[in-house]
Amino acid sequence: MFYREVGQLKTSYQSDQAVFTIAQDRWSFLVLLIVAFGVVPFFINDYFANAVLLPFLIYALAAIGLNILTGYCGQLSLGTGAFLGVGAYAAYKMTTAFPELNFIIVLFVSGAVTAAVGMFFGLPSLRIKGFYLAVATLAAQFFIVWLFYKVPWFFNYNATGQISMPPREVFGILITGPKAQPWATYLFTLSVVLVFAVFAKNLVRCRSGRAWMAIRDMDIAAEIIGIRPLQTKLLAFGISSFYVGVAGALMFAVWLGAAEAGETFGIDQSFLVLFMIIIGGLGSIMGSFLGAGFMVLMPILLKQSMVDGLGLAAVTAKHMEFIIMGVLIVFFLIVEPHGLARLWQIVKEKLRLWPFPH
Amino acid sequence: MSYKERKIGDTLLKVEDISLSFGGVKALSHVSFDIKEHEIRAIIGPNGAGKSSMLNVINGFYHPQEGLITYKGQVRRQMRPHQAAKQGIARTFQNIALFKGMSTLDNIMTGRLLRMRRNVFWQALYFGPAVKEELEHREAVEKIIDFLEIQAIRKTPVGRLPYGLQKRVELGRALAMEPELLLLDEPMAGMNVEEKEDMCRFILDLNDEFGTTIALIEHDMGVVMDLSDRVVVLDYGQLLADGTADEVRNNQDVIDAYLGVSHGDDESLEGAA
Ligand SMILES: Nc1ncnc2c1ncn2[C@@H]1O[C@H](COP(=O)(O)OP(=O)(O)O)[C@@H](O)[C@H]1O
Ligand SMILES: [Mg+2]
Repeated sequence: MFYREVGQLKTSYQSDQAVFTIAQDRWSFLVLLIVAFGVVPFFINDYFANAVLLPFLIYALAAIGLNILTGYCGQLSLGTGAFLGVGAYAAYKMTTAFPELNFIIVLFVSGAVTAAVGMFFGLPSLRIKGFYLAVATLAAQFFIVWLFYKVPWFFNYNATGQISMPPREVFGILITGPKAQPWATYLFTLSVVLVFAVFAKNLVRCRSGRAWMAIRDMDIAAEIIGIRPLQTKLLAFGISSFYVGVAGALMFAVWLGAAEAGETFGIDQSFLVLFMIIIGGLGSIMGSFLGAGFMVLMPILLKQSMVDGLGLAAVTAKHMEFIIMGVLIVFFLIVEPHGLARLWQIVKEKLRLWPFPH
Repeated sequence: MSYKERKIGDTLLKVEDISLSFGGVKALSHVSFDIKEHEIRAIIGPNGAGKSSMLNVINGFYHPQEGLITYKGQVRRQMRPHQAAKQGIARTFQNIALFKGMSTLDNIMTGRLLRMRRNVFWQALYFGPAVKEELEHREAVEKIIDFLEIQAIRKTPVGRLPYGLQKRVELGRALAMEPELLLLDEPMAGMNVEEKEDMCRFILDLNDEFGTTIALIEHDMGVVMDLSDRVVVLDYGQLLADGTADEVRNNQDVIDAYLGVSHGDDESLEGAA
């Protein structure tokens, strides 16, 4: 079968504005959806859900959030770990204070709280840029995590200092707590992530996305066409943090079930999500998925091939994994700075011309 | 030269006694002139004369230490660039200031941002009014793309375009704002003859068809004579002359200034004679 746009004349601006302008892309996406919703839930087990699919989906959502801020609006943030934490603790406080509250509402409120916190820490972005802004968000990272340690109100004064998620249902199906079935947690997370990914894709191809990219590419020129820098950046901080907050809530409530500020939401999380968008592709929603997939799957594949395949000791394998991941990241930064999303694009362009070069 | 039928209207913009300095450098001192509705006003002068600074003052990029600006009857001392944009002032830069990571289409679409109303919720849903709005503005932008004859590069990231086309896209972005006053900072610099001719044609057409008022900085005196209704001459931050192209060309101060200073040869008046 040929991957072509021949014979697919775009007859209106509407179809030209569509997300998938080529029919083959539309079909592939549809098939992917059918498999994800209709096939995977029947074969899923605990390991597959908790080690692969949930982390992939949840990190993809966090990566979309960071990509909106960093990839689209050009504001570097190292506070993603803490903002995941804000979402998690907001969900914890909400659901323990109001056990009857629908978990979907809890998710939205967690996102909103994180958005407010993110916008507050985004205020300095009017005055400072690039590296200096990154340092300011780093301060936010450490301050917020410190707060979650120091103020017992956040973990409901329990002795361990940890937060753990009580069982909650959505539409009568258990989706949190140890008894939740893997197909249920997976389907719920998949639905949430998919809906938010579509929203994000819509946003970045509309007015807001163009305003963000204008600020990213040249803020001076953006201002002369009437873009207000502070509002635009704060909107990016707000929406980005909303996404990261929802991801944090899912991470804590649906995936991990328990969390501890420094362990779960440390600076290494910030870097992990940052690597995801760099490897996946800055300024690309699909890149966020590719990057998350890469960073979640590679360590698993490496570990399996080294421990099970080569018979290395687990500790050695862990060290090797760090080294190989580091090398891969550097490799990507040098060879394809636009990430996996760009590679995918190139492959498609080649396919479109195949078998006739040029 | 003034084959144009359209009538010059009232004063659109008046700058009075503008002085601007950076530290010790006086970029502008006590400059006054006006721009009338529907006219093409050229600003000429040697490099460093303060021409770009003048445009920056007009669209709120620089804040003059002294002087007043009257735009559409409203007196102001200073404002922010985005406020100027809101009031209908658009511009292009001497060094191209496009959004390099975005396509031609998206760059020009950014010029419509101020006219788009739907909030983020509608945009996220990409539904109903948001789609309608997108398509409306897309249509307006396509008209500009046709006008500037850049259909072929619609989807190309502007960073990959040659210099002359980038200048054209930048003009397109400014036009998308449907400005009342268009400030063009050396729109033809670095272009070959053919590209210059195209650009001249665009400028004349949009002045003719849409009545857009244009302030234009240009070194090529031939172009200035052809295009402009009136000319302002700046030298060392001071107003040297102000009048029709012919008056200015025959002004002794202007001749002295151009001959007395050893500027680049492209700025000499000979080319126009
Ligand atoms: N942002 C700035 N900071 C310091 N000096 C400036 C700045 N902008 C312009 N100048 C100075 O003002 C003078 C006029 O510059 P400019 O307006 O760019 O001249 P022109 O456009 O006529 O070539 C020059 O001496 C220049 O160095
Ligand atoms: Mg200049």
